[in-house]
Amino acid sequence: MSLSLHAVSLTLAGAPLITAFDLVVEDGEVVTIMGPSGCGKSSLLAYIAGDLTPPLLGHGRIFLNERDVTDMRPEQRKIGRLFQDDLLFPHLTVGQNILFGMARGSKDQRVEKMRLSLQQAELGGWEDRMPSTLSGGQKARVSLMRALVAEPSCMLLDEPFNKLDEELRTSMRAYVYSHLQSHGIPSLVVSHDKADAPRGGRVLHIRKSGEIVHA
Amino acid sequence: MKWLGGALPLSVFWLAPLLGGLAAVSFTANDPAAWRAFFSHPQIWHGLALSLATGTMGLALSVAIALWIAAGLHGNMAWNKMQQLVGGFLSLPHLAFAVGFGFLIMPSGLIARVIALALGWTTPPPWVTTQDPYGFALLAVLVLKEVPFILWLIAGHMQRPEFSSLLNEQARVARSLGHGDGSIWLRVVLPQILPRLLWPMVIVWVYGASVVDMALVTGPTQPPPLAVIIWGDLNNAQQALNARGAAGAVFLTLMLVTAGLAFASAWRLFAPLLDVFFTQGPSGAGAPRRFAFALLVGFRSLYVAVFLLLFLLSLTGFWAFPALLPPQMQFSAWSELIESPAPLLNSLSLAFVSVAVALTFAIAWFETVDERFDIAVLAFSLAALTLPAILIAQGQYFLFLHLMLNGSWFGVLLGHLTPVFAYVFIVLQGPYRAFDPRYRSVSYGLNTDALRFWAAIKVPLLKPPLLTAAAVGIGVSIAQYIPSQLIGSGRVSTLTTEAVTLASGGNRALLAAFSLVLMAIPLLAFTLATRFARNTP
Repeated sequence: MSLSLHAVSLTLAGAPLITAFDLVVEDGEVVTIMGPSGCGKSSLLAYIAGDLTPPLLGHGRIFLNERDVTDMRPEQRKIGRLFQDDLLFPHLTVGQNILFGMARGSKDQRVEKMRLSLQQAELGGWEDRMPSTLSGGQKARVSLMRALVAEPSCMLLDEPFNKLDEELRTSMRAYVYSHLQSHGIPSLVVSHDKADAPRGGRVLHIRKSGEIVHA
Repeated sequence: MKWLGGALPLSVFWLAPLLGGLAAVSFTANDPAAWRAFFSHPQIWHGLALSLATGTMGLALSVAIALWIAAGLHGNMAWNKMQQLVGGFLSLPHLAFAVGFGFLIMPSGLIARVIALALGWTTPPPWVTTQDPYGFALLAVLVLKEVPFILWLIAGHMQRPEFSSLLNEQARVARSLGHGDGSIWLRVVLPQILPRLLWPMVIVWVYGASVVDMALVTGPTQPPPLAVIIWGDLNNAQQALNARGAAGAVFLTLMLVTAGLAFASAWRLFAPLLDVFFTQGPSGAGAPRRFAFALLVGFRSLYVAVFLLLFLLSLTGFWAFPALLPPQMQFSAWSELIESPAPLLNSLSLAFVSVAVALTFAIAWFETVDERFDIAVLAFSLAALTLPAILIAQGQYFLFLHLMLNGSWFGVLLGHLTPVFAYVFIVLQGPYRAFDPRYRSVSYGLNTDALRFWAAIKVPLLKPPLLTAAAVGIGVSIAQYIPSQLIGSGRVSTLTTEAVTLASGGNRALLAAFSLVLMAIPLLAFTLATRFARNTP
C-alpha cells in the first residue's frame, strides 16, 4: 500500500498557504509534517481526506495504491483518521464503537474481530463499557483500534498525542506506530512537537513561505 | 437572607397558584358522585381514544417530519438561520393557525375555489374537512404547528458551539470509517439529540391530547375529544357538573401518566433491538437534501398562504363561492375590532405584564439563589408545562373561588404566569448560569459596583437569551385560552376567547381579523427579538 501526493497545494481565500509539493509514503511508513499552528497542516490532512471546507481550497491529485481518489467522497476513500480527541461516540459502547466502521458481513465473525481488537488494546472483555468510563489512554487505544478494523488504505493523524499527559504520550506513540507499521499502513502525522516523529522516520517542515522541505 | 428576594415572590405568585391549583382540583375531584357521573357519561371512552390517538399521532408525525427536514439540512444550512426562519412560525398561536388553515381547506375555502376554477364547479364540494369525525383536521393543524417547534429546538441545540463542533469532528471520523451523510445523521447525530428532546416531546404529546381551543374550532364534535367533554362540564353553571369535570381532568391526567409510563417501558424493552442498526457497519446512505428543502419550502408557503388568506378574509363581506377573489373590500371587521378594544387590550396587557413579571422573577432568582437550587424550579416548570392545562387552570379556578380572584384581570394574570414563567425560566436558565464569572471579577477591579456590572455588562451580553425568553413568553401568553376563559369567567375577554366564540358564529371577517392579530403579535415579538439580538457583541 502507498499514499502519493502529486503537486498538492493549499490556498486560503485565494492566498497560497502551502505551495505545491510531491510526496510518496510507502507501506507501513510514518511520515511526520511539522509546523507552527496556523500553517495549514491540519487543512492539508483535511484535503487528503476530502473534507476541506471553504475558504480553504486544495489542488493536486491524491493516489492511494495507484488509485486516484481526489474526486471521491470522503466516506469512499478509506482513509482512517485520528485526532487529538478520541472522538469515541458517547452513545455507543466500546464494542459498538469498534463495530461502527467494520465492513458488513457475518455477525459472528465481526464480533470475533471486535473482541480480538479489544484484546490488542489491552481491553479484552470491555466491549459493553461506555466510553465515558474509560481513562484517556484506554480511549485513545480504542480510537486507534476503531480506525484499524475499518481496514484503511492510509492513516492521517492530527496531533494525536497532544491531549495525553507526558508519561502516557511516550507509551501511546510506541503503541500507535507499532500497530500502523505492523498493519503496513502508510501514515501521515502532523504535529508541532518534534518528539511525535517516530525514530528514524522522515520529517518534513512547513516553512513560513508555505514551502514544504525535508528536515 | 438575600435568597429570600429571589425565592419569596416566586413562591407566592407562581408556585403557590400552581401547587394550590393542583391541590384544589384533587380536592374537588375527591367526590365519588362526580366519578360515578363521569364514568356513566357515554362518550368518555371514545373521547379518550380520540385524545390519545391525536396526541400520539401528532407527536410521531411531527417528530418524524422535523427530523427528516433536519437530516437534509444538517451541514447544508446554518442552524441560526433555520432558527430565525421557524421561530416566527412556532410563535403563532395554534388556534389562529387552525382558523386560517380551516379557511384554506373547507368546502368553500381557497383550495376548493382554485379547483372549482379549473373544473367549473359552481357549488362547494361535499367535503368533510374541518371537524371531521376522526380528527384528521385537528391532527393536521397540530403537526403543521409542532414541526417548527421541534425544528426550533433542534436548531437551538445544534447552535451551541461545543456541541456542534463535537458533532462535526465526530462526523469527520464517521466519514473516514465509510459512513455517508444520511448514515451519520441516523447513527451519530440523532441518538445524541433525541434524549435532549425528551421533555419537549412530552409537552407536545400532552398538548395534542388535551388541547381545548383548537379542538373546539377544528376537532370532531360528535363525540369530541375528552378534553372538550371536560371543558363543557367546567363551563356549566351547575356545581355537580363542575365536580364531574374535575374528575374528568384528573382521569385524563392519570391516563396520560399511564400511557407515558407504558411508552417508557416499551422503549426500554425494544431499544436494545436498535443496537443491530448501530453496529451493522458502514453505509454510504446520503441525506435527503432535496426532499428536506422541498418540505421546508412547503411549510413556509403554507404559513404565508394562511397569513394572506386571513388578511383577505378580514377585509371581505359576502364572498360567493367559486370567485377566487372577494367582490369588494370593506373594513367593518377592523373597525369593529378597534371600536371594542377590550380583547386586544386585555391580551396585550396580560402578555406584557406576565412577561415582565416572569423575567423579573427569573432574574431575581438567578441573582440571589444558588445555582444548585435551579433544579427544583426546573422540575416545577416542567410540571407546569407537562400537566394538561385543563387540569392546572381549573384547579386555579377552584382555588381562586376562595380568593375572589375569578373574573378579575389579576386572577387571569396569575393563570398566564404559570406557563409563561415556566418557559421563561427554562429558556434563560442555561445561558444565565453559563455567564462567565470572570467578567464580574474583572469589572469589580475597574471601579464598577454590582448594579453597574449587571446593567452595563451582564444584561447587554445576555441580551439574546433575554429577548428570546421575552418573545417566547409573549407567544405563550397570547395563545392562552383555558385560563383566560375559566378564571376570567367571561369577564376578561381576550383575543383567544373572542376567536373561539366567533368560530362558532357566522362573522368570518371578524374571526379572520382576530386570528390575524393573534398571529401578528407573537410574530412581531419574535421579529423584534431577533433583530435586536443581532446587535450583540
